[in-house]
Amino acid sequence: MTTTTAQFRERATIALEDVRLQQALDGATGRFATARQAALAAIPWADELRDHFKAIRAATLANLAEHLQTFERQATAVGTHVHWAQDGAEACAIVTEIAQRHGVTLATKSKSMATEEIHLNAALAKAGVRPVETDLGEWIIQLAEEPPSHIIAPAIHKTKEQVAELFERESGRPQSAADIPALTAEARRMLREQFLAAGMGISGGNLAVAETGSVVLVTNEGNGRMVTTAPRVHVAIIGIEKIAPTWDDAAVWLSLLARSATGQPMSIYTTVITGPKRTAALDGLPDPDGPEEVHVVLLDNGRSPLVGSKYEEVLQCIRCGACLNVCPVYREAGGHAYGSPYSGPIGAVISPLLFGLDKYPALPHASSLCGACQDVCPARIDLPRMLLELRADLVTQGIAHGSEAVLEGSVSLAMRSERVWALLMGMGRVGQRPLLKNGKLALPERFNPGGERPLPALAKKSFHDLWRDGEV
Amino acid sequence: MRTRTTILTRLQSNNRALAQPTTWQSRQGFNDLAEQFVTALTAVHGEPHLAPNLEGATAQLGAILAELGAQRVVANNEAPIADLNLPTRWPHLQWHIVGETAGDLREFCTYADVGLSSGIAAIAETGSVVIHSGSAQSRVATLFPPVHIVLLPTSRLTTDLFTFTATHKNTHLANGTLPAAMTFISGPSKTADIEQTMAIGVHGPKRFIVILYRE
Repeated sequence: MTTTTAQFRERATIALEDVRLQQALDGATGRFATARQAALAAIPWADELRDHFKAIRAATLANLAEHLQTFERQATAVGTHVHWAQDGAEACAIVTEIAQRHGVTLATKSKSMATEEIHLNAALAKAGVRPVETDLGEWIIQLAEEPPSHIIAPAIHKTKEQVAELFERESGRPQSAADIPALTAEARRMLREQFLAAGMGISGGNLAVAETGSVVLVTNEGNGRMVTTAPRVHVAIIGIEKIAPTWDDAAVWLSLLARSATGQPMSIYTTVITGPKRTAALDGLPDPDGPEEVHVVLLDNGRSPLVGSKYEEVLQCIRCGACLNVCPVYREAGGHAYGSPYSGPIGAVISPLLFGLDKYPALPHASSLCGACQDVCPARIDLPRMLLELRADLVTQGIAHGSEAVLEGSVSLAMRSERVWALLMGMGRVGQRPLLKNGKLALPERFNPGGERPLPALAKKSFHDLWRDGEV
Repeated sequence: MRTRTTILTRLQSNNRALAQPTTWQSRQGFNDLAEQFVTALTAVHGEPHLAPNLEGATAQLGAILAELGAQRVVANNEAPIADLNLPTRWPHLQWHIVGETAGDLREFCTYADVGLSSGIAAIAETGSVVIHSGSAQSRVATLFPPVHIVLLPTSRLTTDLFTFTATHKNTHLANGTLPAAMTFISGPSKTADIEQTMAIGVHGPKRFIVILYRE
């Protein structure tokens, strides 16, 4: 997948013309943003807690190797198999190998951005394993064969009528679109069968706690508990940056995650997995249930090169989605315009960094730099700064469009001398006259950096001159 | 192994001396933890009850089971449930006591009406109950049935996540004592994935009932 400016514009235009989608986006993002605000307002020390969390995240990344090794040691001690994956292909190979070793043909999955990122479902299908998404939203888009359009609400773009149609096709029974609880009950029934039949459960991990070798999963539906409990084998795929060194750190993390994501004080289920079922629990007797094997795949996929770079801060992200809900670009363009599992402001920064700036050259520009994302971020990540850094990289790495690089290079040259600049502006004010239409600069579309929108014309008198003459 | 070395070496070469901040101390103060728990759990569609003592809690449990019309009940065999001799008390119900009753636990849970458990702690701020897995603590017993009922003394209430980690650091959260699964449950299973409309009971229990009792 790539996202060039033309692709972004094309996909965004489709979204903008879809009235139903615009309503859904407005409704969902508005509700999330309002709920988040209320949840944080309920704790008067929320701002200090966020500062504290940022300090935790920064310190953790500064010593990430040590924390990962602690995690590995503690997880191994309780019987978890820890794997390391350099990239998506390696991670997929590890998971499919485990599945094949156990003769697994059906795997249930709980929602995981890491598995979206590495296209695990395609790899599993190719290896003869049928992956079934079990988060309701994620399952809906799997049935529709579409990518997620929001980090935490992947199916916000689907109507209940579309959902009913998908369920009808899947169940072979008529479904009533007017009855959302009935559709939910139908999903419960159909997916319960899958949970019980699956040979393997696959999850992501919201965080991993190093000191006890635990993986923490947060869900509202309970599917996270299902996939980590019912099948014989559980595999968790988790980015190497999602480490909380201690339970004290995890408590801060969990205090902010749900509040920032959905405005809940706590998600309904926070599941902490520490190894497979015990053959001898504290009293020496075996656990009655739980998976016999637990695997954790620590996924790098472009993360470790960011540590120590000007982009390290992006690894402090906990994928709450708060920045999507307040972003004026995301709220109009929707998630699919970004062409990446990660959309919105965080996606605009992390997609080029993980998957290549040359593949996602449009995303650093998919922002008005209003700063709303940084305001709501639980780790106060300075996304606007990194968007600007990426825009600079586009030029210095020669990825920016040829004409754009020439234009920006010339402007930069001209602006170095006040006299040259004044001269060029003077020439421009005269030269633009034949192109003016209703006071705007109507360039032929292929020469217009503003796309379909006309550019503002050069003012009769520049601000500089107004200032000099004491008019402002 | 090569991947592991590559990743760790790269990270180590960018290692910096930056200490973790000192532990965040809880700033939350509730006059009455039980009252706060009831308020918080009610807000998330859970069903809290407050009983004066264990006897009262047991009577409350009986009333709820009757009202539900429950027939098959699976119970984790832990305090205080283990001491209540439930199968003798309500012999008309079909019981599976984890670790005690013979037969397929998973099969029983698949068709059970109610799962009954206690918890190691409850968090007042968020209305959450913390449960552990163990030899007598089934994970599916609190997950498969449509109703989960918790019986818990108020002495296990703690203010928030920070007091929980501070209190249990050396007991329930330490290496060796942390079980295969620990779950914080904060209400009945829910989703808003279809048109942002809330629906209760998608995969986990549809009703989450907590009977707190004073000791």
